[in-house]
Amino acid sequence: MISIQEIGTGWRSAGSVVARRFLLDRQAEFWMGELDPARSLGEIRARVVAVVEETEDTKTFVLRPNAAWQGHRAGQYSPVEVEVDGVRVRRCYSISSPPGEALVSITVKRVPGGRVSTWLHEHTRSGDILRLGTAAGDFVLPAATPEKLLLLSGGSGITPVMSMLRDLAARDAIHDVVFVHHARSRADVIFGEELSELTARHAGLRLVLCLDDEPSAPRGFEEARFANLVPDFAKRSTFLCGPGPLMDRAERLWESVGASDLLERESFAPTIAPAPMVSSVEGVQVRLARSDRAVAAKGQGTLLEQLERAGERPAHGCRIGICHSCKCRKQTGTVQNLVTGEVSSEPDQEIQLCISVPRSDLRLDL
Amino acid sequence: MTTQSKNLTREEADAFGRELDALRQEVTADLGERDLEHIRQIIRTANRSEAAGRLLLHFGFGPVSFVLGTSALGLSKILENMEIGHNIMHGQYDWTRDPALDSQRYDWDNVCTGDDWRHSHNYEHHTFTNILGKDRDIGYGFLRVAPEQPWKPVHLTQPVVAALLALFFQWGVGAHDLRVDELFAAKQTPAEFAKRARPFVTKAGWQLFKDYAFFPALALANAPRVAFGNLLANGTRNLWTYAVIFCGHFPEGVRVYTEAETADESRGQWYVRQLNGSANIEGSRWLHVLTGHLSHQIEHHMFPDLPAARYPEMAPRVREICARYGQGYNTGSFARQLGSVIGRIARLSLPGPKPAAKTMRVVPEEAATPLTYRAAA
Repeated sequence: MISIQEIGTGWRSAGSVVARRFLLDRQAEFWMGELDPARSLGEIRARVVAVVEETEDTKTFVLRPNAAWQGHRAGQYSPVEVEVDGVRVRRCYSISSPPGEALVSITVKRVPGGRVSTWLHEHTRSGDILRLGTAAGDFVLPAATPEKLLLLSGGSGITPVMSMLRDLAARDAIHDVVFVHHARSRADVIFGEELSELTARHAGLRLVLCLDDEPSAPRGFEEARFANLVPDFAKRSTFLCGPGPLMDRAERLWESVGASDLLERESFAPTIAPAPMVSSVEGVQVRLARSDRAVAAKGQGTLLEQLERAGERPAHGCRIGICHSCKCRKQTGTVQNLVTGEVSSEPDQEIQLCISVPRSDLRLDL
Repeated sequence: MTTQSKNLTREEADAFGRELDALRQEVTADLGERDLEHIRQIIRTANRSEAAGRLLLHFGFGPVSFVLGTSALGLSKILENMEIGHNIMHGQYDWTRDPALDSQRYDWDNVCTGDDWRHSHNYEHHTFTNILGKDRDIGYGFLRVAPEQPWKPVHLTQPVVAALLALFFQWGVGAHDLRVDELFAAKQTPAEFAKRARPFVTKAGWQLFKDYAFFPALALANAPRVAFGNLLANGTRNLWTYAVIFCGHFPEGVRVYTEAETADESRGQWYVRQLNGSANIEGSRWLHVLTGHLSHQIEHHMFPDLPAARYPEMAPRVREICARYGQGYNTGSFARQLGSVIGRIARLSLPGPKPAAKTMRVVPEEAATPLTYRAAA
């Protein structure tokens, strides 16, 4: 038997084929955007409804996503896309608001030289539209809230654990939570006021702030002080997010007491550092993600020539960089454009195979 | 006006090319929000014009709303095919990383499929521009537009054939990559041809269905009026694009090349060929936009993947560089260039004239590719 639902789905997919064949899909998208820029047929878009200055260098953007947004779990992040000087750039930001609300917040620290964070800080106002991706990430509270919790963070790493704490507070599930946060000074504590309020309201919440500017305090995470402050840390389900050095030291501490399996971590700095540039192409590994093959570069030549020499047959045309037929997504690694000299090392950038030479090991969407 | 270009040595051509590369770099570095705003504004204009045209055709009555509706629809088709579709498919906006402006995914409102166009135009025509035997856009395989093409009796009919092509131009463009001539010359099998033709036939079917069944049916009693309006709008677009495109490569003074001449061209020589194989049209900002900036055919052929709206500001610089290297820069009013094309098509329908003698390039001892200059790594 065919259900009503199946008929509905069938109609919709037939409709979308016809719309695409009639080239009416992009017109529908256009008119939808004209009527309300937050609406879209395919994209998750969100209207900025408020911008909150949390600290000197951190702002929270309160967003109202459109119907395509499927929600998030406390601790997850969302890709956020902005147009910087006409170019779409995407970064992932942890969501700081609790799940289940109509409004979603991201809290962004301005990173010196960071294209997206700087753009958000300088240009994004209430009423603007941002593009989001589907919320993702395994750094989430388990379905059954652990009896004893430790939320350990540093700097802007507070954002995902704040979402967890807010979630617990909203569900009235703060039984035994220790919240340890590291910051340069009291003024740099993101969500400082709210944390104090929550501590006053929930007997099960203990807040510990480790501030660098306190007299005779160690800078950042320090094992002895920490073990002193939270003696039972090894017995607590722990969620850790912060700068690299903090995370590394904490991880080693958990390892040393054999409690690593209770430690969940989320790094907000890029985990893949750009690979070191090589001047010679020789020996560079080119991984083809879709076909799951690898090619080792030999001798001189562009990526297209290297791939062809290895027996691959990527789509191409002019071989001189003008027709864009060989355009492909470089997932990771660094390449240099022979015509412009431009170096691309950011992940997920489109490159032209026929005028690019590899400058590090690569992964291509081929 | 046209002046005969001086023959450049490879060194001179490469110096010429490096100056154009520097100009390219300068514009590339300056690309930004203004370029994105421009194309979005044109997309907005085209969509609004289409909506206005359809509303007038569907719900209007009488000749005034018919003429206005047909014109608005024709305008939207011209903008969509030229400034939007042609330019997006060239990759002019790939740098924005906006999926709606992605060269490899865009398909235009034309019976020619996006994929066929990307192959026959972006790759073949733009790479092998004006090389006899390699650029299938020289007379599209059936018109004699250069004296270097051998005359055949069938060319006597070309004034009529050219006029018919103007009326049905999108069908000519759509069938171009199917290589019908190769089927007749037994250079491709019927099976190969059928495989090639399938996407075109599918798309053309949908386009016909859309313009002459779907939209008319929506208009109920106004169906004949809508179908006729769509036909006229498509026809207007055909005539306009035909005129613009013929003015780009076929006026007097534009030269063709032999395969031997271009056998191992350097990047600089590739630029020289693009220049001498193209011609510009002079006019106002709106003329340029309506031609998709193909009125700047010379700049378009030098920089096919730079946003076309930049060509007008690049043109004086290009022209100045050309002048310093003794290169002609073929430009003129629309009337002059179109007149020149029509005269040429008529004249070349008869045998002769003898092609002007050209100095053959000295075959260099060192191989280069159009990607590199001689000394470059």
